[in-house]
Amino acid sequence: MRTVQRLGAIALSGLIMAAVLALPASADTVSVETQKESFIATAAARGLDLNVFGTKLTIGQSSAMVNSSPLAKASGAGVTLASGTVSSSEVNLPDQSANPPKACVLNLPVANLLTVELACGESRVTTNAGAPAAFGHGSVAGVNLAALGILDPVIQLLRTLLNQLLPVVDQTVGTVLNTVGVSGLLAPLVSSLGLGSTSTVAPVSGLVNNLLTGIQRATSLVNIKVGDSTSNVATTGTPSGGAVAATATASGAQIDLLPGLTLGGAPLVSIIVGDAKSVSTYDRGTAKSTPSFDAAIVRVRLGLPLLGGTLTDIPLTLGAPLTLLAGTPLETTISLGGGRTTTDPTTGAVASYADGVSVQLLKGINGGIGLELAHAETGAGGQARLVSQQQIVTQITPALAKTGGDPWLPMTGAGLLVLALGIRRRLVAAQPARTNDRVSQ
Amino acid sequence: MLIDLLRTKRWLRVALSGLSVALLLGGVALVGYPFATNMWRDRIQERLQDQIASPELQQAYKERKVETGDSLTRIKIAALGLDTVVVQGVTPSALRAGAGHYPQTPLPCEGGNVAIAGHRTTYGRPFGNLDQLKPGDTIELTTPIGGCVYQVAKDPFVVAPTDLSVIDPTGERSLTLTTCHPKGSAAQRLVIRATWVKDLKAA
Repeated sequence: MRTVQRLGAIALSGLIMAAVLALPASADTVSVETQKESFIATAAARGLDLNVFGTKLTIGQSSAMVNSSPLAKASGAGVTLASGTVSSSEVNLPDQSANPPKACVLNLPVANLLTVELACGESRVTTNAGAPAAFGHGSVAGVNLAALGILDPVIQLLRTLLNQLLPVVDQTVGTVLNTVGVSGLLAPLVSSLGLGSTSTVAPVSGLVNNLLTGIQRATSLVNIKVGDSTSNVATTGTPSGGAVAATATASGAQIDLLPGLTLGGAPLVSIIVGDAKSVSTYDRGTAKSTPSFDAAIVRVRLGLPLLGGTLTDIPLTLGAPLTLLAGTPLETTISLGGGRTTTDPTTGAVASYADGVSVQLLKGINGGIGLELAHAETGAGGQARLVSQQQIVTQITPALAKTGGDPWLPMTGAGLLVLALGIRRRLVAAQPARTNDRVSQ
Repeated sequence: MLIDLLRTKRWLRVALSGLSVALLLGGVALVGYPFATNMWRDRIQERLQDQIASPELQQAYKERKVETGDSLTRIKIAALGLDTVVVQGVTPSALRAGAGHYPQTPLPCEGGNVAIAGHRTTYGRPFGNLDQLKPGDTIELTTPIGGCVYQVAKDPFVVAPTDLSVIDPTGERSLTLTTCHPKGSAAQRLVIRATWVKDLKAA
């Protein structure tokens, strides 16, 4: 046993000695950056793109962008055309920040067609601690399109035409309905318009007359409640293990066409749009980007037949536009947007788009009103920082070659040996007592 | 007190026993370090002895392309009983061979101030007794393509490690040897200055 221990001790001391000798041979290395990290990430969202009889504007708009230079840029607008509701900020040097005051306007008239309630834009940016970040936010409390006067000539024209044509139309449609029944081709139309299954007398004239009456009763043309739009780009971590995340969110919206139209006070059509969200994330360590989106959920509710004001849900499917009141001046088409992602095969950059809904209201009146609701998009991409291990070129003071030993080494070794021997002596001194104990037993 | 504790606490005995073994091994390693460097140097010298006689080195020498750590010349100092191979370069790695040639100075036996550094207490301590040289002692250098003899010109003298003037070019053919001073320390440098006496024919 002792022999084995001694051999082990010799082997171990040999290893230690070899390690001591080998130490000077290992050259020191340092991580050298051979490729700088570069990235870019953007986010943009808008609550509502509006085209009112030829006048275009965006309500609730935001955008944010950062890159590794570093640059951080953001903007937020309640209404893009109204400078009082727009906030923009930008920094392009390290360790800078900008946080301008929120820009808000109350009851803002736009193009003599709209009244926007409280509209605000907000933005802030920073490049502190090597982590550029940008935030933009646009919001409006509500939009009223008070242009009922536009409808008056149309209504008068329709009344005249209807008075002349209604007897013929009623008879024709009534005959058709009686012949094919309500379960035929007309069933969905009849159902969507809220006509009862036994209603075979003067269906169209009654409907249109009621519509025209309701329109005159309506309090305004369109009520729009637009949610906030938020764009945020944030950088976290380090070049070897962090992320750049771009997030754009367009909060939900609700459009009521001809609010108060029905006897119960319900609008003719109510379109409810959920949140649309887009996210693109760039991994700083692997240089890989990932896109994702949450498309808005849309509900369309119809307030016909103007009798009790009961709202009826109309199904809406992706890729199949829904047209209501086709052939009338109030014709309205609704398209569900969905979403998509793209990846550039060369650079690996990604983009993500989340759409809410596209609505073409009142197509028969001066081109109508076009709305794009709840759109969010983001993009991200970049190149990772590359480092290589390189030998340190030590900057030493010029001197004649060092050929002397380190005298402390043998001295330290001698000290360790003395200490070891001292401990062994104490251990040996304690040994006889154990032996005596055994003997006494 | 400690003895009593050792008698009653088995874990303490085991711990101290382990510690004493570790200290013993560490002490042996550190005390044995200079001896280990000598062994290391001997192994390197065996390789250098073979290399200095090779045609490849002769060619490299002619083309002045001897790599750091490769054989450059043999140095013989009869007064000290020294005969060792000097390598090119004075990096710590190169100097494990024992002695090295300052690469910024002329090649051995060429015109100007040829400078060579050598260990004094480790790595075979080739320059261990350099302080015993006296004026008139001869130093012989044998290169792959020839050789020459120098003669110590004056008593050994000590300079600061940063005094590079001792290896500066000189108007005459000379040889400068440097080593650390005092023994076991690198606080100063001991310097031998010799002047060229004659060239030797190639073997």
